[in-house]
Amino acid sequence: MNNEKPIVQMRKVCKLFGNIKALDNIDLQIQPNRIVGLLGANGAGKSTLLRNIIGLYLQDEGECITFGSEAKKLGPKELGRIGYVHQEGDLLDWMTVKQLIRYVSTYYPSWNRQMEEKYVEDFAISTKARVGSLSPGQRQRLAILLAIGFEPELLILDEPAAALDPVARAQFLDLLLQIIQTENRTIIISSHILSDVEKVIDHAVIMKEGHILLDSSFDELRERFSRVRISALGKELPPELPFENVVHCKRSDGQAILTVKDCPREKLQEQAKSLDCWIEIETLPLEDIYKIVVS
Amino acid sequence: MSVLTVNLKHLYQRRGLWLFYVIVVLFAFAAIAVLFEDTKAGQGRFIGLIVLAFVVGLLLAVLPLEVMSKPFSYCLPGHRKVPRRFIFWVGVLVNLFGSLLFLTYPDLHSGQLFLVVCSAFFAGMIFFWLGVGFAFILRNPGAWIGFLPLVILGGCFFGLHRVLERAIVGIPFGVILVGILSSIVAWLWLGDEGRARRYCAVPWIGFFDAWNRDKLQRYRRVRAPIKWDKLKQHPSPWVETFFLGRMNRHDYVSTGRYIWGGLYTMFGIALSQWKATCSSVFLVALAIVCFLGYMGPWTINILFVMPGLMIAQMRLPVYSSMLISGGRKERYRCAMTLVITTALLITVLLTIIAVLSVLLATIMPDITLRGNTFIFQPMNIKLFFVPLLMIPIVFTVQLIFYRKPMSMVLLIMLVFVISFVTSMFLYEHLSSGINPMFIIGGLVLCWGTFLLVSRYVCMRRCLVGQGRTY
Repeated sequence: MNNEKPIVQMRKVCKLFGNIKALDNIDLQIQPNRIVGLLGANGAGKSTLLRNIIGLYLQDEGECITFGSEAKKLGPKELGRIGYVHQEGDLLDWMTVKQLIRYVSTYYPSWNRQMEEKYVEDFAISTKARVGSLSPGQRQRLAILLAIGFEPELLILDEPAAALDPVARAQFLDLLLQIIQTENRTIIISSHILSDVEKVIDHAVIMKEGHILLDSSFDELRERFSRVRISALGKELPPELPFENVVHCKRSDGQAILTVKDCPREKLQEQAKSLDCWIEIETLPLEDIYKIVVS
Repeated sequence: MSVLTVNLKHLYQRRGLWLFYVIVVLFAFAAIAVLFEDTKAGQGRFIGLIVLAFVVGLLLAVLPLEVMSKPFSYCLPGHRKVPRRFIFWVGVLVNLFGSLLFLTYPDLHSGQLFLVVCSAFFAGMIFFWLGVGFAFILRNPGAWIGFLPLVILGGCFFGLHRVLERAIVGIPFGVILVGILSSIVAWLWLGDEGRARRYCAVPWIGFFDAWNRDKLQRYRRVRAPIKWDKLKQHPSPWVETFFLGRMNRHDYVSTGRYIWGGLYTMFGIALSQWKATCSSVFLVALAIVCFLGYMGPWTINILFVMPGLMIAQMRLPVYSSMLISGGRKERYRCAMTLVITTALLITVLLTIIAVLSVLLATIMPDITLRGNTFIFQPMNIKLFFVPLLMIPIVFTVQLIFYRKPMSMVLLIMLVFVISFVTSMFLYEHLSSGINPMFIIGGLVLCWGTFLLVSRYVCMRRCLVGQGRTY
């Protein structure tokens, strides 16, 4: 267990939009130096949760503390440590890219010019272009650059890759991997594209209809769920397989593919031995884990 | 379901259009009602429904435009031809009805009457096709519809309604010929495949689409490069240096940095183009002063209220998803400073214009038109405080209805209309009743409300909406 003081603490947070409960009794702690993947379908409450963390939304009930301060009272000191990329968010359209970067950088003493230049080049953003005339992908790259340029301690990325084309998405993931290497950085990333998130996160929070269904380290999660391929060695598999916690089973011609939950590898291997069959255990991709958790 | 039934949804599913239908029906009723009052020839009383055909054409053009601009429906069989037939037949029916009013036209024998009814029908068709054409050309006809009453009033003032009626009755063959030609041209024009291809997948804003936020956004996104390219080299480097320099004079956690940042984002572009801004403001103001000055003492003073409408477009940096390091408190203080600055700037500007109008009054001649003498009236400088009352009200409405832009515009229009009507009927009383207590009371009320609302919004409300962009 991490004994460091959490960066974000949410206790019994509820947020209502009319009759819809966007967040329902959310308890969440984000420890420093973690890459947290916030996963969920549209309307699960991911963006609402992120916006509560930085005080753009105010909860109706409960408490949300970020960097030791109530989210609604966050000031320049705390917000100067948070980078935020909003899905298709606001930018000052009338400025040129260069002007916007200069304007935003004026708010941050820790703005890293070298990093700025590097990413402007990597992202192939024309600094002379007018922000309002950028394509959605370029706009998103610029928003990412503005959010990371001051090397924030907490980086919140709300569907950052949604507007990017596959090449730009791959670039963005590389960038994310570079950022992760920097110490003392916490990243919360919400995304639909689970295969992308999977490469970078070390902690997963899965949400559905305003609830947190799962809050676990990614390693633990991968240990909890496995896919087992069983092949009968020259004979038929018995009709009843002696495995516990089977979530899903598919059989065909002396073979079975099982998805199991909370069953250690050793136990699986022992059970396979008793059946006298060949067994292959593999970890589940995040997408499959997600499907099991939300179903 | 037939092609027509499917496409009629464009006309009945847009809720905002229902309001417009009611207005059209009321207008039609008024056009018929004036005939019950008096059916005197040559007074322009018969052409109400003929002119109304323009509005009907403007409305019905929604159908082909919607079909053409959607690649899916554009490619479906019959979808390009059926709307053309539909609007043609509606035009025929509307104008048949409109032309029947001429059956009551006095002092005509039956042969003449038939000719005049035909002439009225084709005059209506000309107006109808003009309406359709305008909708195609303007792409955003809703933005121009506000000018329609002005055009009608202007036309009435210059007696165009009488001219039109006389043309219908006096030169029926000419009107019929132009009507037939315009109908043929319009029929071919609407059926032109090349035109249809040009409109395919091109965003446009139809009547009352202002309620359709997604469509508006798509439209703005497509138009954005054209809009921003017009800025060319602005904002100039000196503007940036000035504001960033001011920001840097303050500590990173100081509110001053955010206030200067807010001033930069709000006024940077206008300041950069200060020569063009000032000259256009003064030229427009001068033109309005010259026009309204002859309209009566209360009309010219509407100028004090007008900036209220204009600033409704300005965006306070309260609701913004672009996160900079300023918190809610900084947003509040920044918004306060911006509103005070805007109010002071506009008040100073209007006071200068009012002084100019007083100077103009000494040289402007009296104008006699159609037996009426118009005397130039200057602005009443005593009303200099009106923008100081209007501006906090407008920003209060903007802060409350930020996520409902149409409701915001309607409410601001309502405030404007109330001030207009109040000044029209109570101008004498109001101008004589203005005293320091009245001014101070008004200022305290308006600014107090704004302070309370902006503090509530900044400290207790969600600062971005549930949507993707704000």
